[in-house]
Amino acid sequence: METSFAITGKGYVIVAADTTASRSIIKMKTDEDKVKTLSPHLLMAYSGEPGDTVHFAEYVERNIRLYQIRNLYPLRPSAAAAWIRRALATSLRSRSPYSVNLLVGGYDTASHDPHLYWIDFLGTMTEVPFAAHGYGAYFALSLLDRYHDPEASLEDGLIALKRCIRQVEERLVVTPGKYKVKVVSKDGIQEIDL
Amino acid sequence: MSIMDQNGGSVIAMVGKDCVAIASDLRLGNEALAVSSNFQKIFPITDRIYLGLPGLATDVTTLKERFRFRVNMYTIKEEREIEPETFAHLVSSTLYEHRFGPYYVEPVMAGISKTPSGGFKPFIAATDLIGCLNYAKDFVVAGTASSKLYGVAEGLWEPDLEPEDLFETISQTIMNALDRDAYSGWGCIVHVLTKDKVITRTLKARMD
Amino acid sequence: MEHSFASPSGHPQPHQRHFNPYSENGGTILAIAGANFSVIAGDTRQSEGYSIQTRYAPKVFRLTDKAVLATNGFAADGNMFVKKVRQRLEWYRHAHSKDMPIRAIARLIQTMLYARRFFPYYVYNILGGIEEDGSGAVYSFDPVGSYEREACRAAGAAQSLVQPFLDNQIYFKNQTPAHGTSHPAHLPLDHVLELVIDSFTSATERHIEVGDGLEIYVVLAKGSTPQVLDRWQGVTEMTTTQDGERMFVIRRNLKRD
Repeated sequence: METSFAITGKGYVIVAADTTASRSIIKMKTDEDKVKTLSPHLLMAYSGEPGDTVHFAEYVERNIRLYQIRNLYPLRPSAAAAWIRRALATSLRSRSPYSVNLLVGGYDTASHDPHLYWIDFLGTMTEVPFAAHGYGAYFALSLLDRYHDPEASLEDGLIALKRCIRQVEERLVVTPGKYKVKVVSKDGIQEIDL
Repeated sequence: MSIMDQNGGSVIAMVGKDCVAIASDLRLGNEALAVSSNFQKIFPITDRIYLGLPGLATDVTTLKERFRFRVNMYTIKEEREIEPETFAHLVSSTLYEHRFGPYYVEPVMAGISKTPSGGFKPFIAATDLIGCLNYAKDFVVAGTASSKLYGVAEGLWEPDLEPEDLFETISQTIMNALDRDAYSGWGCIVHVLTKDKVITRTLKARMD
Repeated sequence: MEHSFASPSGHPQPHQRHFNPYSENGGTILAIAGANFSVIAGDTRQSEGYSIQTRYAPKVFRLTDKAVLATNGFAADGNMFVKKVRQRLEWYRHAHSKDMPIRAIARLIQTMLYARRFFPYYVYNILGGIEEDGSGAVYSFDPVGSYEREACRAAGAAQSLVQPFLDNQIYFKNQTPAHGTSHPAHLPLDHVLELVIDSFTSATERHIEVGDGLEIYVVLAKGSTPQVLDRWQGVTEMTTTQDGERMFVIRRNLKRD
């Protein structure tokens, strides 16, 4: 059961996704990285139909890179998210739509603040303080309603993330296993070993 | 489960004395799971036109962008601001272009239009998802709480309300309708338009 | 009615005929409890689909001198159910030489509805009247007997139109009282009657299954004066006993389109 979380805090966004790749009831892989670095200050966690996910994520990655090469500056998080959303919305009404759900987290180096966007396969997008996809959402969203603090330090943000992961491990029938956790802030992207 | 109920949300617009009001909830959900409590469904088109788009959230965003583009093109070509009546037809024809594969939204418009004699006239309208226009003298509603909004509005609305009274009427109408709808709620926002200003207020509503 | 047709192969195929024992007859009912009175109302249109069967089919019924039952949903079930409740109330009178108290009627209705748990009366019931302590009461039921005592309830075709309006006007939901004051727990009779009429005219305006006529039953507790009813037209007194509860019906027209 795929699960991804993201939490904003003071000057950062944490993006986390489980690392299992499964076909039906079989775990094929337990070290899959489903959080892509799109630009020096932009992260994207993706989940959904196997095949669609990696294909779409790479398509996005290369287009964001292309923009940066052409214009000599990267897209800001809001613009990147809007572009990604539009790609999904267009795909929805095509012959074979992408089934990909996304969490796009970025640090805006122009306005110096973190942004997080919840995007689903329909092209629904909303900016949120915290977000989740998959069955983990049913645990994480209510926990974060209680424990999220937009002014929290990175340490406190990671504690909130651990609460979500622990609760999913404890209560979800099929536990996702290990998580890949990445943080984007003014200093760029770093991976965190929980 | 209808596509129109996938994300939830409701909008209402009302006419007052030389003013109009438009209000919506702020919820975005995935069926029963609430995802956001700050999803705007009302967008300013000009200083005197506001557009509400309840329905499938992906189409809400797509159409918001599309209308911004089309209104900007109109403004550049015509070298003047679009009038509410004209905008209503723009909305209608944009939706009807997709007659056999529609955008799943039911737009609600509120605006103040200029009369030939230089006066101002309140204007409201709504369309269905394929652009059938509905002009009303009193109020128009749309979204998952539409039947509740009709009931309360029919009971509370009266003609020629002043801006502050119209604000109170539309606020009470939307809040009480929202509280009886599981797919709408999580806060609401109200805009009251007069000929020279727009009053926008976010209401303290029930968050369950 | 469905008929069996020859299949493309030319052989007649057995066709499962389906009988649906239920129908939905539209209309709306509503009841509001006051401190020492109860108001129970319903429109009189009976319809099936887009056809009006009759413009006068009562949905509100007097059970005793202090209890009124409004039924909504499948009219045939509603009428049969009222008939059976009345029969049980008569047996109670013969056995105990008094009318059954309203809270007991409410429990009786629950038992009678739940007895048909697997072939229910397709009816939403609202029971209104006067409690033994003299207070106005409203009990609302679902088709299988879940019930609750409340201050007000709307049911039927226009429930979704009327109930949020009542939340606002009866329970003062989303209204903040002026500083140092509080909202009244119960409203006076004439105010309640005005709200009932407004609710039905609004429902008639926006719902095709509501209209034609309006019947409002008013039950007053022992010793309360019916003076406020003087200014109302179309009032008929239905009281049968002396110095007990008093019962009135107000009949009005609703739009017929």
